[in-house]
Amino acid sequence: MDAMRPSPSPAPRGSARISVAAAVAVVAALAAVPAFVSNPYALHIMILLFLSVIMGSAWNVVGGYAGQYSVGHAAYYGIGAYVTLIFMTQYRIMPWWGTWVAMAAALAVALVIGSITFRLRGPYFVLASIAVAEVIRLTVLNWKSVTNGAEGILSGPIPKIAFGETTIKFISKVPFYYVGLAMVVATVLANLAVQHSKLGYYFQAIREDQDAAHSLGINLTFHKNVALGISAVFTALAGSYYALYVRFIDPSTVLTIDVSVQMVLICIIGGIGTVLGPVIGALVLVALSETLRSNLITDVLISIGAVSAESRVGAFLKEHLSHAHMLIYGVLVVVVILFMPDGILGWVRQSMRRRALAAAGEKR
Amino acid sequence: MAILEVRNVFKLFGGLAACSDVSFSMEPGMIMGLIGPNGAGKTTLFNCITGYYPPTKGEVEFKGQRIDGLSPDKVCKLGMVRTWQKVRPLAKMTVLDNVMVGALARTNSLRAAREIAAEQLEVVKLGPKARFLAGGLPIGERKKLEVARVLATKPEMLLLDEVMGGLNPAESDEIIQLILDIKRRGLTQMVIEHDMKAIMRISDRIVVLNSGEKLAEGLPQEIVNNPEVVTAYLGEAVS
Repeated sequence: MDAMRPSPSPAPRGSARISVAAAVAVVAALAAVPAFVSNPYALHIMILLFLSVIMGSAWNVVGGYAGQYSVGHAAYYGIGAYVTLIFMTQYRIMPWWGTWVAMAAALAVALVIGSITFRLRGPYFVLASIAVAEVIRLTVLNWKSVTNGAEGILSGPIPKIAFGETTIKFISKVPFYYVGLAMVVATVLANLAVQHSKLGYYFQAIREDQDAAHSLGINLTFHKNVALGISAVFTALAGSYYALYVRFIDPSTVLTIDVSVQMVLICIIGGIGTVLGPVIGALVLVALSETLRSNLITDVLISIGAVSAESRVGAFLKEHLSHAHMLIYGVLVVVVILFMPDGILGWVRQSMRRRALAAAGEKR
Repeated sequence: MAILEVRNVFKLFGGLAACSDVSFSMEPGMIMGLIGPNGAGKTTLFNCITGYYPPTKGEVEFKGQRIDGLSPDKVCKLGMVRTWQKVRPLAKMTVLDNVMVGALARTNSLRAAREIAAEQLEVVKLGPKARFLAGGLPIGERKKLEVARVLATKPEMLLLDEVMGGLNPAESDEIIQLILDIKRRGLTQMVIEHDMKAIMRISDRIVVLNSGEKLAEGLPQEIVNNPEVVTAYLGEAVS
């Protein structure tokens, strides 16, 4: 029965207008947040969220639409971070120029890596993508004259920027908040543009069946490289943003496989190959890891009286729960993958469709 | 002038000759039947013609241009496209989107592609299923979807690999009508089929393959009366 389901009919124009209005409202609301919220921790969480959305949406172009599961995107993230900071600290080039250089560098590397690894399919491509990212990590680790090796790069404050009368100083978190928001909008719009273009159709055809796509006139290697190129540019943007925000990078933070896996997980949990999927995935993962890490769960359990702070259980939770956050996080990820194979967005859409079908059945 | 010339094509897999010295030529607008027992090399020959494998030796010429060694996407752009014996629907895309992917070979505009796709879906009578996911179609409709998708690429020549395989007689009949319809529009077709009655009815000429070699070629009537062909299909007579 499920296989026979008609896909959701295309949204009529009215509802497209509603989604545009909703998106504009959300962005406007987010833009207003710093006016009301001055708590740096809250802004910090929002910035982490923006970063995750950019990372997930960037990976989504090649992994979600084109179906090429790269687990080596840390390479582009690291290149974005390193190029930006090296240009700023060593050559005194302003980061808003350095970021462009970083994105161009990531694009160039992506095209080289793509032309090599896209000869491989399925699991072999995944393994090759991991291997290439490791090569880049080791290169950065050992090329000490440029990258400072394992010690990493620590940068001073970001130079202020002046627009006529107004100067923006990157001291508080507010400027970072707005820059991040703008990048989120750009990345999500890029996903939207891909989905509603010939490229998007070709990417999805490649994802669904490479041989069929090839026979229908699609140049596989070229289109996979285009997908990877777009993806790498936005991934480098995320890396650059991270480096400028934290102002310290080393190979074990920006070039590890953890970064690559994180990008894949955001998409898998939210819903792969959809515009909103990575946004939802980022929301869930950032909320989850922050709650677990800050021991909010224990505090809530104690405050609602489920466990007493003085009891042995309470003490145990207080002591250990926050240390187990990676464990709980992992278990939750497994649960989502097992029970929601199309991600949270896919699951929600499917249950809505079921409810609609049931309602239609009752009417009859 | 011939639209397709296959000259002395060999395809070797290690020591096994899947195609061995196969030659034939096709005139524009004709239907060529390709038959032979299982493992005779019919699909391998399709793969060699449409660019999935480069032939080990030999030449393939389409509209006077050498195409052996070109990739399938280039062959498609030149106007020759094939369907798959084991159907390959783009499962998580709608039926309309599947056909649009074909149409996009000739246009960059999604709107134009959507129009072409809707037209081709009408041709194969899949219009009402346009919004369904391709993965959910039954086999008969999947075969029709394959045909609609290749038609949308605006080809001059189609290679149909067992489009009637696994269909019931009524569905087969629909496909036969569809193939004859495509012929009336002036397209050239090469058809692999196991249903002898069907292939005799639609083909202008027939090529018979056996163990990778061309066993016979001729009009349908000549083929059914060819003793070698009968032997290849039924085995030697007990004497």
